[in-house]
Amino acid sequence: MKGVKVDRNLILRVADNAKLSLTDKEIDEFLPQLKEVLEFFSSIDEVDTKGIEPSTQPVEIRNVLREDVVKPSLSQDDALANTEHKKDGYFKGPRAV
Amino acid sequence: MIKEFTEKIKSREIDVVQHTRKVLNEIKTLNKEYNYFNTISEELALEQAEKLRSNPKGRLAGVPISVKDCIVVKGVESTAGSRILKGYNPVFNATAVARCIDEGAIIIGKTSQDEFGFGGFSTNVGLDYKVPLNPFDKERATGGSSGGSGGISQKASFPHVSLGESTGGSIVNPASFCGVFGLCPTYGRVSRYGLMDYANSLDKIGPMSKSIEDAALVLEIISGSTSRESTSLNKPVENYSSFAGKGVKGMKIGVIKDAFAEGLDDAVRKKVWDGIKKLESEGAKYEEVSLPLTIKYGLSVYYIIATSEASTNLAKYCGMRYGKHEKLEGSFNEYFTKVRSKHFGKEAKRRIILGTFARMAGFRDAYYIKAMKVRTRIINEYKSLFKKYDLLVSPTVAILPPRFDEINKLSLLQNYMVDTLTVGPNLAGLPHLNVPVGFEKKGGKQLPVGMMLIGDHLQEAKLIQAGSVFGR
Amino acid sequence: MTPFKSDIIIGLEIHVELNTNTKLFCPCSTENTEDPNTHTCPVCLGHPGAKPVLNKDAVEFAIRLCLALGCTINRQLVFSRKNYFYPDMAKNYQITQYELPIGTGGKLRISDEKEIGLVRVHLEEDPASLVHPGSMAASPFVLVDYNRSGRPLLEVVTKPEMFSPAEARDFMRKLITVLNYIGIFDQDICIIKADANISIKESGYVRSEVKNITGFKEIERALRYEVERQKKEIADGKKLVQDTRAWDSEKGITSRLRTKETEEDYGYILDPDLVVTDINDEWVEEVKKEMPELAQDKVLKFIQKYHIDRTDAEVIAQERPLAEMFEKVAQKIDPVLAARWLRRELVRVMNYNNKTFDDIGIDHTHMIELLEMVERKEITENVAKKIIEKLMEGKFSPREYVKSLGLRVMSDASELDGICKSAIKDNPKAVEEYKAGNEKSLHFLIGQVMKKTKGQAAPAEVHKLLKKLIK
Repeated sequence: MKGVKVDRNLILRVADNAKLSLTDKEIDEFLPQLKEVLEFFSSIDEVDTKGIEPSTQPVEIRNVLREDVVKPSLSQDDALANTEHKKDGYFKGPRAV
Repeated sequence: MIKEFTEKIKSREIDVVQHTRKVLNEIKTLNKEYNYFNTISEELALEQAEKLRSNPKGRLAGVPISVKDCIVVKGVESTAGSRILKGYNPVFNATAVARCIDEGAIIIGKTSQDEFGFGGFSTNVGLDYKVPLNPFDKERATGGSSGGSGGISQKASFPHVSLGESTGGSIVNPASFCGVFGLCPTYGRVSRYGLMDYANSLDKIGPMSKSIEDAALVLEIISGSTSRESTSLNKPVENYSSFAGKGVKGMKIGVIKDAFAEGLDDAVRKKVWDGIKKLESEGAKYEEVSLPLTIKYGLSVYYIIATSEASTNLAKYCGMRYGKHEKLEGSFNEYFTKVRSKHFGKEAKRRIILGTFARMAGFRDAYYIKAMKVRTRIINEYKSLFKKYDLLVSPTVAILPPRFDEINKLSLLQNYMVDTLTVGPNLAGLPHLNVPVGFEKKGGKQLPVGMMLIGDHLQEAKLIQAGSVFGR
Repeated sequence: MTPFKSDIIIGLEIHVELNTNTKLFCPCSTENTEDPNTHTCPVCLGHPGAKPVLNKDAVEFAIRLCLALGCTINRQLVFSRKNYFYPDMAKNYQITQYELPIGTGGKLRISDEKEIGLVRVHLEEDPASLVHPGSMAASPFVLVDYNRSGRPLLEVVTKPEMFSPAEARDFMRKLITVLNYIGIFDQDICIIKADANISIKESGYVRSEVKNITGFKEIERALRYEVERQKKEIADGKKLVQDTRAWDSEKGITSRLRTKETEEDYGYILDPDLVVTDINDEWVEEVKKEMPELAQDKVLKFIQKYHIDRTDAEVIAQERPLAEMFEKVAQKIDPVLAARWLRRELVRVMNYNNKTFDDIGIDHTHMIELLEMVERKEITENVAKKIIEKLMEGKFSPREYVKSLGLRVMSDASELDGICKSAIKDNPKAVEEYKAGNEKSLHFLIGQVMKKTKGQAAPAEVHKLLKKLIK
């Protein structure tokens, strides 16, 4: 897809989608780098892929299912062990609005 | 080496606790100089040694195993080399680690790496982490992203195997730059349960060691399907270690001529051809083959798919449930953005941006979907060669281990290009092996050269046969 | 594009919590519990290195629903990652089906006159549950319980073919019946929620989406409010924009969450941690066999075997306990009579008293007893209806009841004769009025006889007899 306008706005839009806030310095550094790299990647345009299916994995694996049998869960303590943001058995998280 | 060692452990000729103490001291000293470990798991190792002393058993009885930091070890800080996971203490063992422990292995530490696997030199370590140094020349890189694993595998004076990880070449690349064997198995051969994801359709765990036979033994132990994940192969596991020394008589080898084009370092060219000639002298036959699609487009396909998957995998790191936290204030957008922007390194941010872009509406078809289709064609290109050849061969990396100041001068794209020869087998999920084939003197140091052998799916045995021609 | 047939257009996206033992991608229990974060593991907590493995029963339940709703079943099951950040997301992506849902098309009949078409049915995982200490707007943080995280959901998307909040309610109610019927949902422990898309003629059919409405009663409430709100906005001269709104059940209002311009880009990829599941014919047949007979198959059977009319058949077939009762009763009683009494009397009285089959605890033996007496004309229809009403309060033997209260139809002609004669004697005025041409007075006299006979006389008989006697 040659001709994608890789500019500040695009980088900021993408970064926002990924919950990253970049400093001006970072944007100045990243912009030419990402531009060059994306330009290079767009060469795959020229490959003939008519009738070709996308591959999700490189080897054929199908039909891996699990029986609906309960196995022990983590204790509440273990579940909460890796965080300091907790209260009364709940995880604490940032506001939803 | 491991075979003899475990006998001595079991017969108590070697005291496992004493040995483990010695090993821990050695790696602590080494680490001050070379930065191969993010964490040395002294407490766990001694605990395991004590337990083993009273009941020494297992095919890896008393054997020190180091584990790349992105592979979780229960109770030992595991961070994938990133500050955003600092403090994370896993509540479970990766399958590969559990299987080693079940065979009596002693887990000595978590090795250093590029943050989340994002690099080919181990210079993209996470914020606050130290860059591992090449075992032959401290001004040079170990290769990446399993740099710590490569380095310690070379420097260890004791029988040792490291569990490394590869997405685009991260086992064979540092194996090449550190002069050790690095075996990346078929995708799905070893379970990814407990492997912190870089790219789910590309990640594999594999052994690195000075001894191919030892690496093969570990491969045997860690291979096989598990019910804890959906992409492990339900195929029989062979006695890989028994294939060491079986030779290459009658094998047909395809030499990937596109890999020997301009830009290849002369020393690498020479040493790899020496390696090919050696295989010929042992009874193998070689012919030149070509992988035009893979060589031209493999790098782009790899980076598009890998970053697309990675950008979704890294979304979970946001200051909730584990890892680095910040003060809980602001809306969720503000909080998540704060944690992620503060604690991800630069390369992590770049790859997240690239991957998010490649999946976005409007770009998805041209990048993500297109790359997945080209991947199919690349796989087919390899498969048609494997109808005729047992193994394919090329240099592992086109250069000798570079100096840090040389790496700093590289553009981003040039950085990525170090993966050119290794992305192919990784995209196709093919097993591949780095074979140390000699040294080149440069700047007063002996620098290792690596030759890469590629096998068809589930043909690890042939790789071991061929690799062992160069030493056990 | 559906031509706008109605002043109000409603489409629903319904999320049904499946009644499996374990979650969709990990073996944690789905049991409800008061203790937060006690049914979790590295997978549903989104720990690095944990991996999903698909629950076989969840797939079977999905196949059952597709069969029951007449959907085309996709023979390859694939999952995608829907990527967005939110405090209830364990991985900040949801594993769902984007490209290829398990079921497409299908429909559900909501009344004698109307069927609602479906767009798709697909599987996805539930996020965690959030508790907002204080209120959603004011609390400085949220409390998160991952017990719910990873539970299996089936999403049912309808075509925008409901034309009133009442129809939306009926759709939900009917869907719940089907879900219970095929055994994939338990309304006592599983949750069913809907997002509703609604637009009205007055605005030029600008759509609002109202999210997260729980249960069929709330659907009607929320949509009624929304219709009024939109009408008022237009009446105030405002122009409506496409937006997404939240329903506050306590306050009874909807409020804007975001407009469509700020819609998220979900950046879907196929989930590379999961592999393709083949849904072949053998599996579908197996599921069909294990399922309770499908409603539509039952309808056909009822019509062909028992010769009852289509509407009766469809109503009876939709409710499993009713259908089962009917089949048993029809072995002993004339099916057409049985169908009439079950559908039009029993169901009517149950609805009026807001009772379900579980509440009343009667079974086919009670109905057989009752209807035998009706068939043989041993009791009048009035008495039978009264007995049905009494059965709402508790079960008893209708035969015993009739015996103890002496409710048998007066088959003794002379006794009836006598009662009619005394009624005539006691009400001379009414008799005169009837003779003068007032039909109503005859009915009054019939009423008097019925009173005296405690309803046991057959009204038609009384009518005949009185007429004869008065002449």
